[in-house]
Amino acid sequence: MYNSLTDRRNFMKKMATVSAMTAAIALFPDILFSGEPEKLLSESKGLDWKRSPCRFCGVGCSLLIGIENGRAVAVRGDPKSPVNRGLCCVKGYHSILSMYAADRLTKPLVKKKGEYVETSMAEALDWVAFNMKQTIETYGKDAVSIYGSGQWTIPDGYVASKLFKGCIGTNNVECNARLCMATAVTGFLTSFGLDEPMGCYEDIDHADVFVLWGNNMAEMHPVLFSRLLDQRLRRGVTIIDFATRTTRTSMAADKSILFNPQTDLAVANAICYEIVKNNWVNEVFVNRHCNFRKGLTQMGYGLEDHYRFKEKAEKIDFEAYKKFLANYTAEKVAKLSGVSAKDIKYMAALYGDPNKRVMSFWCMGMNQHTRGTWIQNLVYNIHLLTGKISSPGNSPFSLTGQPSACGTTREVGTYTHRLPHGVVTDEGDRALAAKIWNVPVENISPRPTYHAVEMFRALDRGDIRFMWIQVTNPMVTMPKLNRYRNGAEKAGRFIVVSDVYPTPTTDIADVILPAAMWIEREGMYGNSERRTQYFEQMVEPPGEAMSDTWQLIEVARRLGFKAQFYYEKETHIEEIYAEYRQHHDNEHHNMAPLHTLRSQPGVMWPYVGGKSTKWRYNSKYDPACTNGEAFHFYGKPDGKAIIWQRPYESPPESPDETYPYWLCTGRVLEHWHSGSMTRRIPILHRAMPHGYVELNIADAKRLQIQTGDEVKLTSRRGEIILPAAVNQRGLPAPMQVFVPFFDEDMLINELTLDAFDPISKQPDYKKCAVSVEKV
Amino acid sequence: MKKRLGIISLFTLLFVVFIAIWDYSYRTGLEGAATPEGENDYVSVVMPSEKGVFRRGRYALDYARMPIDENHQRSLRDYYKNRAFPGGPPTIPHPVSDARSMGGKDCLQCHENGGFVPKWNAYAPVTPHPELLSCRQCHVVQKVQTLFRATNFKKIPAPAVGAGANSALRGSPPGIPHRIQMRENCLACHAGPSAPREIRTSHPQRINCMQCHVPNKELTADIGIFKGKRYGG
Repeated sequence: MYNSLTDRRNFMKKMATVSAMTAAIALFPDILFSGEPEKLLSESKGLDWKRSPCRFCGVGCSLLIGIENGRAVAVRGDPKSPVNRGLCCVKGYHSILSMYAADRLTKPLVKKKGEYVETSMAEALDWVAFNMKQTIETYGKDAVSIYGSGQWTIPDGYVASKLFKGCIGTNNVECNARLCMATAVTGFLTSFGLDEPMGCYEDIDHADVFVLWGNNMAEMHPVLFSRLLDQRLRRGVTIIDFATRTTRTSMAADKSILFNPQTDLAVANAICYEIVKNNWVNEVFVNRHCNFRKGLTQMGYGLEDHYRFKEKAEKIDFEAYKKFLANYTAEKVAKLSGVSAKDIKYMAALYGDPNKRVMSFWCMGMNQHTRGTWIQNLVYNIHLLTGKISSPGNSPFSLTGQPSACGTTREVGTYTHRLPHGVVTDEGDRALAAKIWNVPVENISPRPTYHAVEMFRALDRGDIRFMWIQVTNPMVTMPKLNRYRNGAEKAGRFIVVSDVYPTPTTDIADVILPAAMWIEREGMYGNSERRTQYFEQMVEPPGEAMSDTWQLIEVARRLGFKAQFYYEKETHIEEIYAEYRQHHDNEHHNMAPLHTLRSQPGVMWPYVGGKSTKWRYNSKYDPACTNGEAFHFYGKPDGKAIIWQRPYESPPESPDETYPYWLCTGRVLEHWHSGSMTRRIPILHRAMPHGYVELNIADAKRLQIQTGDEVKLTSRRGEIILPAAVNQRGLPAPMQVFVPFFDEDMLINELTLDAFDPISKQPDYKKCAVSVEKV
Repeated sequence: MKKRLGIISLFTLLFVVFIAIWDYSYRTGLEGAATPEGENDYVSVVMPSEKGVFRRGRYALDYARMPIDENHQRSLRDYYKNRAFPGGPPTIPHPVSDARSMGGKDCLQCHENGGFVPKWNAYAPVTPHPELLSCRQCHVVQKVQTLFRATNFKKIPAPAVGAGANSALRGSPPGIPHRIQMRENCLACHAGPSAPREIRTSHPQRINCMQCHVPNKELTADIGIFKGKRYGG
């Protein structure tokens, strides 16, 4: 184990120093040493370096964290990690500072007569359990809910799901990953039948072309982007930035191509049209490994409460698909998208060249999209038509934004419709979960309840009366924030928030539970490339802070589920992980045992025969392929991936006379998500002290706005005043503005629209209409 | 006639078989055409230690001949001032005009080889890793000096330097008291006019620094001493 090895190493070193000095003194009695022997000894103790995945984004860099006297004091990249190979970004290097801000929550706070009163953890947990029980008795079990996060460790998400779905018997389990990765999931499921990428980061070392679909990788996934740059330096690869806004990525790319919001759908179809037209289709691959389907269109946008949608797939053939594509000639699409026909043909030629290996990257640009599942399907179409998939360097790759969006929310399944293995609607899946959880199978409801947006709507309506929010900050990150904040603040709602710092979300809490964060406890994260990474507890949590896992276990026991939550305090993470692994005990998803995770910087599932699977669905690398052919998309019953016919459809809200600008929101390099951690890191706050609105130079000139001027943005849902940034970090296209969402004093989500993708239920934070005026 | 027919039909048959086989191999070959695998098994390692020791070697003689510019020397205190902890990436202490640049040649212009910059009245420090082009992924400008919330983070002291601080014997070459990850190129920080005076080497021309200066303390992994069975364990 890493730990004991370090101890032994230190011990050996001390012994070596002492014996060397003893020998030296014996040989040269009159020699002078630079210091006292004792002093030398204490200096040689040095830092204790321990391994952990980074706390922040989904890239999952492995960090080595220097510990001294029970405090984290230094960070360096883990040179052994196949993810970051010794490099970090500015957030990773300074990540440990996020634990040490002066306003850490160290004691539970309970709201009594409008005032927060400090209490003991035991009392606070009693109060939580009591209110949960009361709510269930008065309003039924579907009135209690938990809203977690892609920053939940695997054990956190697992016990949450077990408690709510298995023991209490409600499917009211959701997470912020619904706002982040839900579309990636439905994209994978509709095209391949199984979630998560087929390839891995090693694809970067093999690919010749990288197409970034609405992905500002230089700021959002900097360590992976530097791997792209490294490959360009060595091999001369091509990087294409296909986006709606000019960013650092555009500046670094070989070519920057801008498109009008929402028209990526049309451009992707046009690329497919060109591929078919120029005979770049890999016929053998398509014939053997693909089916064609078309789905429903004009599905709406989920703007109304109780919105429901069920996809119906219809079988079509290649000829019908070709006919459909005929509407998407490069010339036609050029008009709609603002991308020149030449550029569309150029992109198609890159994908179509049989001698080039192509990797597509995307993240929130394609996920936070009211037709997000469609655009993912369309990008998969490009890779399937050309057969450039599931082999080294040929890889459509969906990046994640949170450290365990894959590991916890998608693999443990902390969504209303999911179970650790499969879905609640499947009888077999329910039976398996019930058996491992040691609960009667009737406990698990076969009916999914609320997805994230609908869950907050239900809280507003009063259908949900109790909500426990862990490791996330929805009062900064929910779209159309005013409605959901007002809803949460209504009388008769009981909100529990587990967090490490005061945030706008703790402001709405009835009970605030101080949480032990990251390396103050033991856990695992799973990153974008199916890599599960373990971290041990390295430092003590402050005050009474307790891990989310243990908070849930304590409450579960108070609710009477002692038999199911039998775990010992010292070994509970190990026990929970061992139990969790049983859900994935098959060659499609087998997880590595804990001792393997502890011994190295992560393992990729499916972990079969002591080996990580680097390329799924490829019989050369994936032992789960059984059809005797080169590729086997075993997620689908007939082993074939699906090429979907998906048209272009307009977004729910477009600029008009009153609200003439597009508003796009997102992140910046320095701050991670709602900023509650990174803003407390001095170096990061000083680099990026507050939010702002980015304007195009022409618009700013016309409105006579300069950088630093106060600007009022108004949408149908709210208004906000914030300083302008003209031609700064990012440059939006004319008649578009961009606002980062990290600043809790400038809540841009009060303006955003809560329209979502009907298939994934993920909201679109990238497109709504606003007006801009100088204050 | 019959014989000739026989020969012709034999060749026709051979031709047809050839076409069939050729077609089959062409078709099977097609599937792999887009994916020539395995030929690029080279995996780039961003950070092998010691790879950059000699990198600035060709400037070593220049450094040795350069007079010391007393008025524009950096001190070690300045060196550590803009790092959150010893070994952390330094912040950018001067304004940067292009917010959208990732760094690259904009930064390398001055920081690849150093030199005096009249604008800042200082020598530009030389980067030990000019091949990492996305400079601002790790190095950020500090726009304000305020804090969002106070912090209790404690900065550990930097390793001691100076006569004897890292030497085993009096006058023996000092060991390297810091990790060299990201800083494998010794001359970048220890030579030339931008080097902090406390750690500037007197003999940059020797180039092969690690011939005499070896990593010490916790910097190397001690795997114990191997003892053969023959001599007892």
